[in-house]
Amino acid sequence: MAELRRIAITWAALIALMLASLGSAYLKLGPWNLVGGLAIAAVKAALVAWWYMRLRDAGPLIRLVAGVGLGTWLILVVLSGVDYGTRAVTPAAVQRPQQLLPVQAASQPR
Amino acid sequence: MTAAAAAAHITEPSDEPDIGKLGMWVFLASEVLFFGGLFVAYLYGRTHWPQGFAAASRHTDVVLGTANTAILLTSSAVVALAVACAQEEHQRRRTSRLLALTAALGLAFIAIKGVEWHAEWRDGLVPGPAFALAVPGAQQFFALYFVMTGLHAVHMIVGVATLGILARGRPRASRVEVAALYWHFVDLVWIFLYPLLYLVERHG
Repeated sequence: MAELRRIAITWAALIALMLASLGSAYLKLGPWNLVGGLAIAAVKAALVAWWYMRLRDAGPLIRLVAGVGLGTWLILVVLSGVDYGTRAVTPAAVQRPQQLLPVQAASQPR
Repeated sequence: MTAAAAAAHITEPSDEPDIGKLGMWVFLASEVLFFGGLFVAYLYGRTHWPQGFAAASRHTDVVLGTANTAILLTSSAVVALAVACAQEEHQRRRTSRLLALTAALGLAFIAIKGVEWHAEWRDGLVPGPAFALAVPGAQQFFALYFVMTGLHAVHMIVGVATLGILARGRPRASRVEVAALYWHFVDLVWIFLYPLLYLVERHG
């Protein structure tokens, strides 16, 4: 049964990628730990969406809906990043000074 | 493409089962944004307090987290098998059994998660006045950890209940496929949670 083989191969690939992700976390890669982890997760997600969720066999309408979900999220990530990436941490009026000490200590330039 | 082939292609997505599938995909697209906001919050915290996030992540249980990832990936494969079996009338009993097995794997996942939460609560890793770690950002990490894994677990419970109900009756192919889509999505969310929560600078 071709379908059975496809499901089994996808499963084996997902488990292998999970182990690769686990192993990469124990290597000293600096920021590439995060990038690598997310890249492997993205490949796993694509495998699940393509083979298990059958985007491969889906019509244009369903592919469009799936793409809109992902695309809208990416736009919101970028727009949020414009704010969070450029502003300094500004305390809210309700926050007391001693509450802010650990945050300020962490955001001092090193 | 010939005119006949084009016509066949256009009429295909309007079949009755595809309406349910389309509805589920629209719902899942909104779920992407629901979980997506939390992922943005995580990225903000991780980029601003990298040491705190790394220190906190090392206090998560990587063995149980990895076991749960394997369980969830396997459950996705099992439910994909159920979808394949549901296409054939004589495979009905097998479809039911595969759905029940998927739900059982889901329950195992939730049970393991419960063990983890209990240990974290005992070790003072729940954000609050008695939080155990002094590194700035560690508390933010665990606040996100509990909200994200908690919301994910709520989705798991809904999925287990849905698959359990389907397994008890005579599962219709279209319903099995729609329920499986939801289950795969819950798996997708966990695929991203796994490296972000359990695998931050394990080498440190």
